[in-house]
Amino acid sequence: MSHAIRKLGGMLLTLVVASFVIFAAMFAAPGDPVTFLIGNPENMTPERIASVRAQYHLDEPMLVQYWHWATGALTGDFGQSFHYHQPVADILATRVPITLSLVGYAAVLLAVFGIGLGVLAAVRRGRAADTLVVGGTTLAASVPSFVVGIALVALFAVQVRWFPVSGAGSGFGGRLYSLTLPAVTLAVGALAIVSRVTRQSMIEQFSSEHVEAARATGLAERFIVRDHVLRGSWGPIITMVALVIASMIAGTVAVETVFGISGVGSLLVDAINTHDFPVVQAVLLFMVVAYMIVTTIVDLLLPVLDPRIGRKAVTA
Amino acid sequence: MERSQHRRLSRIITGALAVGALALTGCAAGDKESNDAAALDAPFAAQTQKAAGPVASVTWMLGAEPTTMDADIDATTADDTVLANICDRLMQVQPDLTLGQGIASDAKWADDTHVVFTIRQDAVFHDGTPVTTADVLWSMKRHAAEGAAESDEYANVVSMKQTADDQITVTTTQPDAIFLQAMAGDGGIVWNPRVIKAEGSDFGGPGSDSACSGPYQITSWQPGAQLTIEKVADYWNSGVTARADKVIFHWGEESATVNNLTTGSAQGAYLENAGAAVALEGSSTVSVYQGPSTNAWVLETTDRGVLTDARLRQALSLALNREGIAKAAFGGLAQPWKTPVGSGAWGYEVDAFQQAYDKLSGAPAKPYDADLAKAKKLVEEAGAPSEPLVVASNGSSTHNVIANALVAAAKSIGLEAEIKVVPQAQYGDFYSDAELRGQADLWPDEYYISKNDPLGFYKNGKSDASVNFGVFNDPKYDALVAKGYAATDDAERAKITIELQQEWVDQAVWIPVVATPSTLIMSNDVTGVPSSAAYIYYPWAADLGSAKG
Repeated sequence: MSHAIRKLGGMLLTLVVASFVIFAAMFAAPGDPVTFLIGNPENMTPERIASVRAQYHLDEPMLVQYWHWATGALTGDFGQSFHYHQPVADILATRVPITLSLVGYAAVLLAVFGIGLGVLAAVRRGRAADTLVVGGTTLAASVPSFVVGIALVALFAVQVRWFPVSGAGSGFGGRLYSLTLPAVTLAVGALAIVSRVTRQSMIEQFSSEHVEAARATGLAERFIVRDHVLRGSWGPIITMVALVIASMIAGTVAVETVFGISGVGSLLVDAINTHDFPVVQAVLLFMVVAYMIVTTIVDLLLPVLDPRIGRKAVTA
Repeated sequence: MERSQHRRLSRIITGALAVGALALTGCAAGDKESNDAAALDAPFAAQTQKAAGPVASVTWMLGAEPTTMDADIDATTADDTVLANICDRLMQVQPDLTLGQGIASDAKWADDTHVVFTIRQDAVFHDGTPVTTADVLWSMKRHAAEGAAESDEYANVVSMKQTADDQITVTTTQPDAIFLQAMAGDGGIVWNPRVIKAEGSDFGGPGSDSACSGPYQITSWQPGAQLTIEKVADYWNSGVTARADKVIFHWGEESATVNNLTTGSAQGAYLENAGAAVALEGSSTVSVYQGPSTNAWVLETTDRGVLTDARLRQALSLALNREGIAKAAFGGLAQPWKTPVGSGAWGYEVDAFQQAYDKLSGAPAKPYDADLAKAKKLVEEAGAPSEPLVVASNGSSTHNVIANALVAAAKSIGLEAEIKVVPQAQYGDFYSDAELRGQADLWPDEYYISKNDPLGFYKNGKSDASVNFGVFNDPKYDALVAKGYAATDDAERAKITIELQQEWVDQAVWIPVVATPSTLIMSNDVTGVPSSAAYIYYPWAADLGSAKG
């Protein structure tokens, strides 16, 4: 119980520190929000600039501004977007599900194909299939995701027209259909690391004593792979998949831009460039929270999958 | 006020992405040869061919998601493109950018400081209530309120009163010939006060009720996904037959827009960056149209150093290769231009402005030997500066091309120049931050005015104008601007404005670069909409129809 409280306290502290660092970073970044708030260069008179500054509390010291924001955020009021003139919460409410479904879809692809390829490479280690998997995924990982995205759009959306060019679709089926290319784009870049970790940890297991013992009992190789090698490898694999998913939540920017998806990634870029403080702050906090949630789930999940981890934790 | 500057950013951020996308899709489509000389066939006119019949549903692409439908808070280009169809205004911009009537059936200057609007009594809001003279007055007062986005249009107004059942009289402190133009923009929108009061702070956001009386109304706005407008059942103005029943708006980067048109999932878009249309070259299903707009790329000048000497500005203007810029940065879809404002500003006396434009010199499309010789002589007279000129860029491809061209022009006439890169997020601060201006002599930017009157641009040469950054100060010019504002007669105002234009170009206050026309890409299945920049304020969707009967 005290462990849970400590954990929760740590998360809250992380949030506070993160929100402050983000705020300070935005404050220090070049560019003046007033330029965007006024918009028309012909209206940028000193009086107008001063009145807009006052209206948005931009004339106050950073700590005071942070306090304004933090007290609002504590009561669930994340403020109004400078750009959209709508409550930040409303804006996020429409974008978060889109980004989460994109990441979720990519995570499924990543887990299935990343682990699958890793298993294949481990079982066929040293042979042509292994080389092909390692080489192919490395190559795919070295291409920036927006290039992959543009290529996929050009081929599958513009040329053969199997998929829509842009947008996130509506309804479950429509969304799945529309997000296929973006999810593939997102997953392709991360295949290498997941398949490599899978391969490596399985290869270690192959030469371990309990696998040798299982082999000595005359078990068929496919059962050895499934019940002994893979079982023992889940720890690093799950950890890696989770870390990749967590980083994906913050890394959808390029993919959302290429595929014209209104998710939090594209929202963040626009908000940073228009100095839309309240939106930047909320989006980044969302990303921090999502990261913490994913890593916490893994922490809870790992002992269930691999009892050795729980025991170590107790003795340590 | 001017259209908001926000749109510029998203274009810049993803400029590189879009270029990459275009190159790739172009190659993949296999219909684009990498040939510099290939010219895109883009007819230049105010309007596309008239529609032959109605159309049930059209999907239209916007450059960004609309932000709010309350133009008194803010209006981006995307907001205006939608709002143009939703709301009626006191006056109405026509597709050829001249001024027509809106909710005001007549507007006349009674004397130098009184303008009288006659309000139509047959207009009806979307909620069925009639548009009364009092509603119009209420709307004007809302636009004029302090802090409202359009309040600058009312800067000279001292009072607005209903002077008869169907009459509003506006009193100004000084003559303001452009005021009527402004009433065709967002500052002239006629709101339904009952709806705005009922919606409170929710007004303008997704799901809020319509407070307008235009030929279309928003029937759904799913943030992050799409916005739909539909024809209103019985539009009060029986003179308008809306041909498109429904327009569904989606939004995305320009590469996504071009791809959506190529695949037929969208039928049209007004592009904010003409160069994106190059990817449609050779398409058999999508056409590119261009029309007049006020937009022009200019090199704005500061008083940081030597450019306070007009001779050096003139010399740079003479030596700049505008044709090269139009080709390299805009794929040939921009025009080398001699003034700092596009031909879309000529909302009246078009012939007079055209003739005056043709006679202008000092900003050649391409510097010939005679231009360079003249430029070198000017530099000699002025004396070469001790330190290099600094031209700013924000790193976007268009800014870089223009900055590099300026450096090349400077070198060709014996001046040293260097480029200073300023982060994109900070670039707009050149307008607001004198300290930043102290770091560059010139910075390229796209400038535009929202009223179709060049006087609205040339007023920026006044010594106290907020975008006059200290290089030009001439009491005679200031007096001429005042005279122009007093000239409510179009012919007289045109004459004065042409004098101002001559002076501005002679002095090279800002260095004109290229005009970027309004650029429309549209499926060959539909037609009818204006190809000029009128789409910002004119209900263009009503003209949108099927190309075949």
